[in-house]
Amino acid sequence: MANVTAATEAGRTPALRRRPGPGREAIYAYLTLLPVLLVVAAFSLYPILYAAYLSLHKELLTDPGDHHFVGFGNYVDVFHSFYLVDSVTSTLVFVLMSVPAVMVFGLLVALLLNQAFAGAGILRVAVLLPWALPPVVSGIIWRWILNDDYGVLNSILRQLSIVHYAIPWLSNPQLARVALVFAQVWHEGPLAAIFLLAGLRAIPAETYGAARVDGAGWWAIFRHITLPLLRAPLLLVLIYETIVAAVTFDLVYIMTGGGPANATALVSWFAYTEVFKFVNLGNGSALAFLIAAALLVIILGYLRALRVESNR
Amino acid sequence: MTSARRKLLQKGGLWAATVVVLFFVLAPMLWILDSSFQGENELLTRPSHLLPQQPTVGNFDYIFTGAIPRSFEVTGTLRSRISQEAREVPQALENSIIVAVAVTIANAVLGALAAYSFARLRFAGKTLAFNFLLGSRLLPAIAVAIPYYAIINAANLLDTYTGLILVDLTFTLPFTVWFLRDHFRALPEEIEEAALIDGCGRLQVLFRIVLPLAAPGLVAAGAFAFMFSYNEFLFALLLTQTIKSQTLPVILASVATNPDASLALTAASVVLAMVPPLLFALGFQRFLARGLVAALGRT
Repeated sequence: MANVTAATEAGRTPALRRRPGPGREAIYAYLTLLPVLLVVAAFSLYPILYAAYLSLHKELLTDPGDHHFVGFGNYVDVFHSFYLVDSVTSTLVFVLMSVPAVMVFGLLVALLLNQAFAGAGILRVAVLLPWALPPVVSGIIWRWILNDDYGVLNSILRQLSIVHYAIPWLSNPQLARVALVFAQVWHEGPLAAIFLLAGLRAIPAETYGAARVDGAGWWAIFRHITLPLLRAPLLLVLIYETIVAAVTFDLVYIMTGGGPANATALVSWFAYTEVFKFVNLGNGSALAFLIAAALLVIILGYLRALRVESNR
Repeated sequence: MTSARRKLLQKGGLWAATVVVLFFVLAPMLWILDSSFQGENELLTRPSHLLPQQPTVGNFDYIFTGAIPRSFEVTGTLRSRISQEAREVPQALENSIIVAVAVTIANAVLGALAAYSFARLRFAGKTLAFNFLLGSRLLPAIAVAIPYYAIINAANLLDTYTGLILVDLTFTLPFTVWFLRDHFRALPEEIEEAALIDGCGRLQVLFRIVLPLAAPGLVAAGAFAFMFSYNEFLFALLLTQTIKSQTLPVILASVATNPDASLALTAASVVLAMVPPLLFALGFQRFLARGLVAALGRT
């Protein structure tokens, strides 16, 4: 290559300059991909193999001498653990409460943002703000508002004589679950709203015009035009928010620490506790794999549903 | 009902709904801001003071200078509630910003280089490499937490910026590459071809022509990377040990979950932590909203 270049340097034809050989272009491409692929490979291929190895061996930090192969023993441990049924239930409850709440909030706000009036402009800027904050910050803010003793919510409710005692928002197991949902809607709702707004804007105005000419009321329009045309974005938000809710960790860590009485201890919380409280890396990895597998099923189901949707 | 009255009612309804939503969205942030200007003794009164009766900057003063706020001296017994960790907020803010800026720059440079090759060049293994990048994001963070710890530990990078930056890059780069690839693809290819004929290399084309044209996409991708890195908590918690590298979410969590925490100092710490992301969200509002839609919509 080098001697050819030297020989033809002066009299290089335009055609040659225009098309650097496919080899050179490919080398350039590989060089540009290399850093990205290296980082991602180092932090995805190796970790999976390593986690798989851990999940099949005894890995207890309090017993550092013993790392014998236990087969699926760790997985059996997880299935027989005191927390599995309860934490899966708590996770399902959290998903089933927070995802519909986020979606309804998102849809209502999106409908509002889609109206032509000055308020929509103000709201559009404001609504994105909670989403930009670290989940840790959202958790602290809500924990402070919902504080049993000094929280402003209880203070207002009592001053308005709506209640005459302090509501134990975060120390009652059922209420703590509701409190988490509130924080989740506050933090995740904006995303749903902005995304559904884009879906609404994609609906051509003529569609509504024709329905109005036919004398359809707003409910009929919403029910028979808006909702069906919003199916794909709604589905996307549904799945995205399901995944986010299913692996919620930061909010739980800050607001409840899994309590009271493990009411808000979701599966991701126990994946953390197995490793960092029970120091059982084997069981922790097995649980992490089970969570990953469950999520994979959800994601694949979602991709399938989307494909069906786009073929309709 | 006349149509004019009906219109008025409709407008009123819309504004009422807007006020309700605005209240739900903004009130929690305003309340923590309000709290940060109240003394500890004032925050511990019931009912809560909706506006500070003795507004003070003492909480912020303590965080930056270590001067014990007056409100603590008054009651004496509350001395134990001074949260020492709050003094680490400025350093944590610095750590957070250093890590987030490094992640943003690395994303912009490495991400753009790779994304352009994916968008315009033909080479063997392209689809495989691309699917590998996207597929890597199917792993939930919690599933790789232990191996990440082991890798960073083995590389002697625990409690360093580099360790955090590497992990944040793993999470942000695949998204950036995919996001920018779509942006680059949407640009008209003719200008690039003209430049290539004029003797520009691919790298020159990327930096002189493609990037200026794709600037909004680059800004959005950078903003996402910054916010991801700034907000990330789980790995920052696992991979940092001292204030040498601990980021804001870690310090905030330790301030707030300390059972002896000072409410006033927690509030002030949170307010400081909110400044960068709120500035980002306000400044890049258009880019972020458009980017979000593009990101979710194209999956």
